[in-house]
Amino acid sequence: MTAVEAPTRVSVTAGPLVGPVLRRVVGMFAARADLPLDRLDDAVLVADLVAARAPAHVMDATVDVALASSTRSLDLRVGPLRAGGGRALVIDAAVPGVGNVIERLADGLEIETEGEQEFLRVRLAYSGAD
Amino acid sequence: MAGDTSSSHAPFRGGRITDSGHRDLGSGARSSRAVAALDSDIRLTLPARPENVALVRDVLGALAEAEGLPARVTDDMRLAVTEACTNVVRHAYGGGEGTIDVSMRPTGDALEVIVADEGRGLGSSADTGGPGLGMPLIAALTDSLEVERGRSTGSRLTMSFLRTRAMEPA
Repeated sequence: MTAVEAPTRVSVTAGPLVGPVLRRVVGMFAARADLPLDRLDDAVLVADLVAARAPAHVMDATVDVALASSTRSLDLRVGPLRAGGGRALVIDAAVPGVGNVIERLADGLEIETEGEQEFLRVRLAYSGAD
Repeated sequence: MAGDTSSSHAPFRGGRITDSGHRDLGSGARSSRAVAALDSDIRLTLPARPENVALVRDVLGALAEAEGLPARVTDDMRLAVTEACTNVVRHAYGGGEGTIDVSMRPTGDALEVIVADEGRGLGSSADTGGPGLGMPLIAALTDSLEVERGRSTGSRLTMSFLRTRAMEPA
């Protein structure tokens, strides 16, 4: 896989299904991106954190994530989130004694604003040797 | 789905099967995208590519697990939805690019799965000369099936699966 795919969009009503669905979808996309196992685990951990924390910051009652993978790279775009929700979601992902997990795992972290909405873009990649 | 036109003759479990026939799902009516956007617990919008059928199956597994569905129902649901998605990949866009829209929603004693596309709708397919077993298979595996199709604005299959089923004759 060399070209960037058209994004896949996942929308799950905030509740117990968000985690199981997101971790499966993100895990599959990480595998397609040919990320090594440790980065695949990182991607699933990010998915779990988004699933756990995003419902408090979404615009409505659903957690929406757009995914796109390319060679050894996975992009997640979480949102729409409420104003300030992008940063709040990242802060909420902090774990005592560990620090901010999303910030530590992501190769790129960006908050995009569209009117009243925000989107958190998280990029995980692998550039190391095989 | 575009390769199958025999839904009205399909065997089915005993629920209802409705073929809404050719309807304009575009302007003046609900588009397939808008229709699939009804309240649902899970919605996936994916490029209509073979590898994404596996993704849909995986998500169905998550839903079935969370809902505690019996293995038999889960298997039937996976097979029927796989067939519906495969039909979209194979037939809906004539080899071009397009999307599959899948919505999954618990509805009381059943679980409803909607597979929609924005392709050329149901109809005969130039690349299949076979009997078109897809739709009869889907009908046999579902407890109810509703088919809506537009001439050029896509199609939508609404499949319902009861959580528990009466014992079936061997």
